[in-house]
Amino acid sequence: MRQKLSSILAAGLLGGAMLGGTINASADPAGAMVGNPCAGCHGIDGASQGQAPVIAGLNTMYLDMTMKAYRDGQRYATIMDRIAKGYTDEQIAAMSKFFGDKSWPANTQSVDADAAAKGQKLHMSTGCVGCHGQTGVAMMPNVPRLAGQYAGFLNQQMLDYKDAGKAIPPTAMVMRSMLSGLSDEDIAALAAFYASQK
Amino acid sequence: MAFNRREFVKLTGAAAGLATLGLPLVASAKGSASIVVIGGGYGGATAAKYCRQYMPDAKITLIEKDKYYYSCPFSNEVLGGDKTIEEIRFGYDGIAARGIDVVIDEVTGVDPAAKSVSTKGGQKVSYDYLVVSPGVSFKGNIEGYEGEQMNKMPHAWKAGEQTTLLRNQLEAMADGGVVMIVAPPNPFRCPPGPYERAAQIAHYLKHHKPASKVIIMDAKDKFSKQGLFMEGYNKHYEGMIEWRSAANDGKVNAVKGNKLITEFEEHEPAVANIIPAQQAGALAGAIGLTNESGWCPVDQRTFESSIIKDVYVIGDACIAGAMPKSGYAANSQGKVAAAAIAAKVGGYEMPDPSYVNTCYSLITPEHGISVAGVYRLEDGKIAGVKGAGGLSPAGASDATRQVEAMYARSWYANITADLFG
Repeated sequence: MRQKLSSILAAGLLGGAMLGGTINASADPAGAMVGNPCAGCHGIDGASQGQAPVIAGLNTMYLDMTMKAYRDGQRYATIMDRIAKGYTDEQIAAMSKFFGDKSWPANTQSVDADAAAKGQKLHMSTGCVGCHGQTGVAMMPNVPRLAGQYAGFLNQQMLDYKDAGKAIPPTAMVMRSMLSGLSDEDIAALAAFYASQK
Repeated sequence: MAFNRREFVKLTGAAAGLATLGLPLVASAKGSASIVVIGGGYGGATAAKYCRQYMPDAKITLIEKDKYYYSCPFSNEVLGGDKTIEEIRFGYDGIAARGIDVVIDEVTGVDPAAKSVSTKGGQKVSYDYLVVSPGVSFKGNIEGYEGEQMNKMPHAWKAGEQTTLLRNQLEAMADGGVVMIVAPPNPFRCPPGPYERAAQIAHYLKHHKPASKVIIMDAKDKFSKQGLFMEGYNKHYEGMIEWRSAANDGKVNAVKGNKLITEFEEHEPAVANIIPAQQAGALAGAIGLTNESGWCPVDQRTFESSIIKDVYVIGDACIAGAMPKSGYAANSQGKVAAAAIAAKVGGYEMPDPSYVNTCYSLITPEHGISVAGVYRLEDGKIAGVKGAGGLSPAGASDATRQVEAMYARSWYANITADLFG
């Protein structure tokens, strides 16, 4: 609704000489310009349908700091580091707002129930719950939502955070120590638990 | 394209005549832009969708000659046996459901003066802005590669029936056979494509006909992601894949019967896959959108043709600076062109364009490699942002290659949903 209203306002300000009536993109053409090309890997509006992470509806501040961490070599990735280097601070701010303003999608994925149950226990006992909330929905803006995120991505992300040879943002250093005592199987269970949550 | 230059001129001449008599072919409704997109592949399907998103009130028509689209990305996996042809087939119901008029018909002419498109089925559709995404057509660089020879030695460079032909030949081949892939000179659609294909065919052969071999006969002396491909070939298909550069007599000049003919030799492989040299799709040439290179020059900020006003050319057919001819590039260009048209229609300044490309290749189902690029406009040309993009690292761990393979499949799910979902 907000987007529609602002586009009507923008259209009004631009005068009535347009051929096409309402122009949606005028609400935020710069955000759409840098945000829409991401759909190829991250899904329409960031609502991924594959194992690439959902970025729709993540906290704007988290998105902004994450893109900068990838860009500045502070966070390991197979590809996102290479891509993030292509953007200025202004572009990163625009795309972070673009995706931050979207809603988290109601995707479902099939998850091993036993692994998820084990993961839930670990989530409570290891202390993940402290930052990531009861179900993997964080209250703090610099902590990402995990509930409903893809298991493949989460699993890989935790393995990367645990790996001392891979770059990790200073703000996420706590993750390395949290994960240090967990086996690959534990990590897969945690990923299954978060993936199973809504 | 099943129309020739003379028919085309005749048609457009007639259309221009009608228009000057004051008989508009299809009047565009007042206060609402009419946008026609020709071609429903990675470029055209994207342009139609994002025009709809950016201009909810515009009349948008997508004209595509085939009822189904077969994706070129992941068609190599059909050859390798990990995907079926049905899994790379897409219809246009999703696009129609977005409020886009989908016309399955062949374009026979475009009249830029009257701003109308005519089809074989007798339709005439007028436009304010036309987006053309015609893909590629083949140049006659290989003597004898025409007519029935194209079915005998499939190119499979436009996915669909040709993919099935080549797959059937691989299935029918006896163990111990040689498959030759003739790779084209630059520039061409999907630069890593022939080399991923070699790996995918070897993947099939390794598991079903392990005494067989793949030989890439190349018109070039180097190719995309070469180091990463060679590393993957050695790791998974040692002794099975051979690459012959142009300097090593790899350039095939002619085909005859079952033979491939180079400067010094004749080869008679069990299966031949000929990928000819390429230029813009035939329609682009017929409309007059190409220059002497055979490709379409455009304003690289908007993708508006440098030759014909209010006509936008995207995808493999256009000259897009540093961007490769890939599905992702076409998708990204379709979004920029839609934004440019929306800005024009809306009477506002278009934001600075931003373009992206990512190409994954699968050497095995668990070994993915990638090349990425982020682009911006510099001095009127699309240039790669310095320091960004580039290749997967050489010598990476099995785990890393596996993660890239996972993201390759994820890419396919997401981009095809963006196009057709």
